[in-house]
Amino acid sequence: MSGELLEIENYSGAFRLPTGELTPVLHDVSYRLKEGALTAVVGETGSGKSLVALSVLGIQPASFVRRSGRILFRGVDLLGLDEKAMRRIRGAEISMVFQDARAALNPVFTVGRQLADVYQLQHGGGRSAAMKQAIEALRRVSIPEPARRARQYPHEFSGGMAQRAMIAMAALICEPSLLILDEPTTGLDVTIQSDIMELITDLCRVGGLTTCLITHDLGIVAETCDEVVVMNAGRVVETGSAQAIFTQPQDPYTRRLLAASQLVEAAA
Amino acid sequence: MSPRDVVGEISPELGIARPVRRRPKLSWSMRIGAGVLIFYVAVALISLVWTPYDPLTPGIGDGYDAPSWAFPLGTDRLGADMLSRLMAGARYNLGITLTAVAIAFCVGTTIGVIAGYYGGAIDTVALRTVEIFQAFPGLLFAMLVVQAVGAGIVNVILVMSFVGIPDYLRLARGEIHSRRSWQYAEAARMVGNPPWRVAFRHLLPNSIGPLLAFTSINAAFVALITASLGFLGLGLGPNTPEWGNMIARGQDGVMTGQWWVSFFPGLAILGLTGAFYLLGDAISDLTDPRRRR
Amino acid sequence: MTAGGAILQVRALRKNFPVEGGRHLVAVDGVSLDLAAGETLALVGESGSGKSTVARCIVRLIEPSGGDVAIDGKSILPLQPRLLAGVYRRIQMVFQDPNASLNPRMTVRQVLDEPLRLHLDLARAERTARVRELVEMVGLTALHLDRYPHELSGGQRQRVGIARAMAVSPEIVILDEPTSSLDVSVRGQILDLLLDLQQRLHLAYLFISHDLQVVRHVADRVAVMYLGGIVEMGPTERIFGAPQHPYTRALLSAAPVAQWGVTRTRLRLVGEITSPIDPPNACRLVGRCPLAQPACAAAKPALIAIGHDHAVACPVVVGGAAPYPSGDLQPSVAVAATRGF
Repeated sequence: MSGELLEIENYSGAFRLPTGELTPVLHDVSYRLKEGALTAVVGETGSGKSLVALSVLGIQPASFVRRSGRILFRGVDLLGLDEKAMRRIRGAEISMVFQDARAALNPVFTVGRQLADVYQLQHGGGRSAAMKQAIEALRRVSIPEPARRARQYPHEFSGGMAQRAMIAMAALICEPSLLILDEPTTGLDVTIQSDIMELITDLCRVGGLTTCLITHDLGIVAETCDEVVVMNAGRVVETGSAQAIFTQPQDPYTRRLLAASQLVEAAA
Repeated sequence: MSPRDVVGEISPELGIARPVRRRPKLSWSMRIGAGVLIFYVAVALISLVWTPYDPLTPGIGDGYDAPSWAFPLGTDRLGADMLSRLMAGARYNLGITLTAVAIAFCVGTTIGVIAGYYGGAIDTVALRTVEIFQAFPGLLFAMLVVQAVGAGIVNVILVMSFVGIPDYLRLARGEIHSRRSWQYAEAARMVGNPPWRVAFRHLLPNSIGPLLAFTSINAAFVALITASLGFLGLGLGPNTPEWGNMIARGQDGVMTGQWWVSFFPGLAILGLTGAFYLLGDAISDLTDPRRRR
Repeated sequence: MTAGGAILQVRALRKNFPVEGGRHLVAVDGVSLDLAAGETLALVGESGSGKSTVARCIVRLIEPSGGDVAIDGKSILPLQPRLLAGVYRRIQMVFQDPNASLNPRMTVRQVLDEPLRLHLDLARAERTARVRELVEMVGLTALHLDRYPHELSGGQRQRVGIARAMAVSPEIVILDEPTSSLDVSVRGQILDLLLDLQQRLHLAYLFISHDLQVVRHVADRVAVMYLGGIVEMGPTERIFGAPQHPYTRALLSAAPVAQWGVTRTRLRLVGEITSPIDPPNACRLVGRCPLAQPACAAAKPALIAIGHDHAVACPVVVGGAAPYPSGDLQPSVAVAATRGF
């Protein structure tokens, strides 16, 4: 194959307003995720970066209408698959981590139980074996005292720890080929942010996991990512290696974004 | 970012270009509910100036006249015209209901807002007090109080409003309590509002949705309780053309085939209660802030 | 510290919140700072540091549990809540979340008109003129006046929040994370607006933020907070160029830089975080600090001046401790043994 795990091809779509009219929000979005690489999709609010990611998994909002384009995963157009086939892909092949981990976890079940449930769903087997895997996954994401933590509820976890648990669920329990993370560190303290990014890069490098990081923070992109896709107002404005984007940005929007992210340099 | 947030993300950008404020579309339930209610109000108002016959005078017909051209809804046992009595009854049932709801809304909301914003002792006292009131089922409570304070339309209205106050109080208190630490409440203080103004001028208008939606449920309930009191013969005089009272007077007739004496008042009460419920659905849809975007 | 020229003086500010079981959560633990007219002091810290609580205690949106707050030398704590209106003519606040800080049911015009009505008691014509002046001052136009908050972008809403704070012509403005909820490209514009207004109106800013980059761009002096206390305070360039306190150094080393090819050496504090509930009388960093000595667990250190208007709350560093290596910093064994972990 060409080394590309996921290929988004001319994806366009609009939102259907309650009045029935369509407002176009994505215009010919195309980019590729190289296998084994950590690709960042950067953009501001309203750029459409999250919308594309949700479309990959087939969980885009109901009011979103696709106009054209394909999403090819290992050559198969995901948009042409039915719900049953998509369910097989979700988790097992493609997995996603969302921004607010504590909100993404079910508040009435213990964290360990939730991880174990997902394990059983993906791999089958008995409850106690699944629980062991859950605790092991928590340990691998550096959560101290994983056995005790597995018995706790999401609200007892701090923001950073809950995000680690989510990453454990999405990356370790599920064992996907592609992991998408939608603003995983936004809202976390900068020290925790740094820790989480280290965890993500570890998983990517060591595990060979193709990772797609959706973010607006160019700082973490500069330090960790191999490839960058820049989006603005529903369009892809530039793609390239991280080095190219940071050292020789071509598009004026990319340059503006970089300048805005480097306040001190701009001021000097 | 959940799918819901994504939609919210994109929309504000649209709003900047052309801030179109559309008039809310009126749903069918709202149209029917409002229509029926307006009809009732019209009937009540008309009855102030005209009814086919005098509603309080018996003996116009022979007694138990079936519906006919002379008496479109028939006459009751004493020969009084049903249509006239029904029209006059609208004044009572509708008037008592609307007045009681208005009083309950104002008093309950005010106390609830104060309790919710200030918290502390005021809050505890208010909550415990309404809990005492809410321990009694509505009709039972109304019966007991009316027996105690005596008959009369004013007493009935006051009793009916008491039935509703606890719910408004709790609703308002809950809404204000959850909003009082929001940033625009803090900003309102910085801008010079004393605490009570922050609560009433800033927080209350943003909490009004559930309260308005509740008024119609409250109204439906009060309408039923009023009719029930009338049916039991409590609260208002025996000849009052109040619909519940009229149903009670026609009870015997139902057995012997004079169905219209109880039927039409019953239909009137059904219509009123149903209209309030329909209106309630529509109001809660309208005031849902998410619809605004 | 220039106590003489300070327009805002905070001394030993404390705030405790009661927690079930008769215990107390110490959110602010003896914070003292001075703000001179026209300068920007940044209060930096992570979540739980108490910086937002300090801001709210200063304006008495939350009542402090102890300490003093004085404007121009006159304490504002003993004032009756009713009389606080006068205080709010001199000190105002810009809030973090532009979505939550504007009343969704008020137009921009109403938002800006309100402080003019309540604080300044101006006549209608004067208010209209002033409202127009305010919107233009923050880079909006008269067209925006009749819009509701949900019809504006995030950046525009924040501009309205700034205009509202400026309405009464205050001398001191507390900015609580004013750009944290905004997009990167808008952030720069808002910061430039704030700096411009500060120049023109000679405002003193207390700038609360967790974003070190932003702080470096706007602040004259920086105070770093950790678990309710200030651990280091000094001129911006000294704090960023030569941080002394172990926490400051760990914090600065964690901030990512949006530049290619920059390698950071991460200084990571590992260990148990001291609970803010009924904390012991000790340095708050004990248990995570690589330099901790037994004395650190015995008493909470005060800020010690180390020259150039720079102060550190760490006697070990002041006493000339050797610089520590990068990587995972294990908490000092000397103290662990003393505390009997």
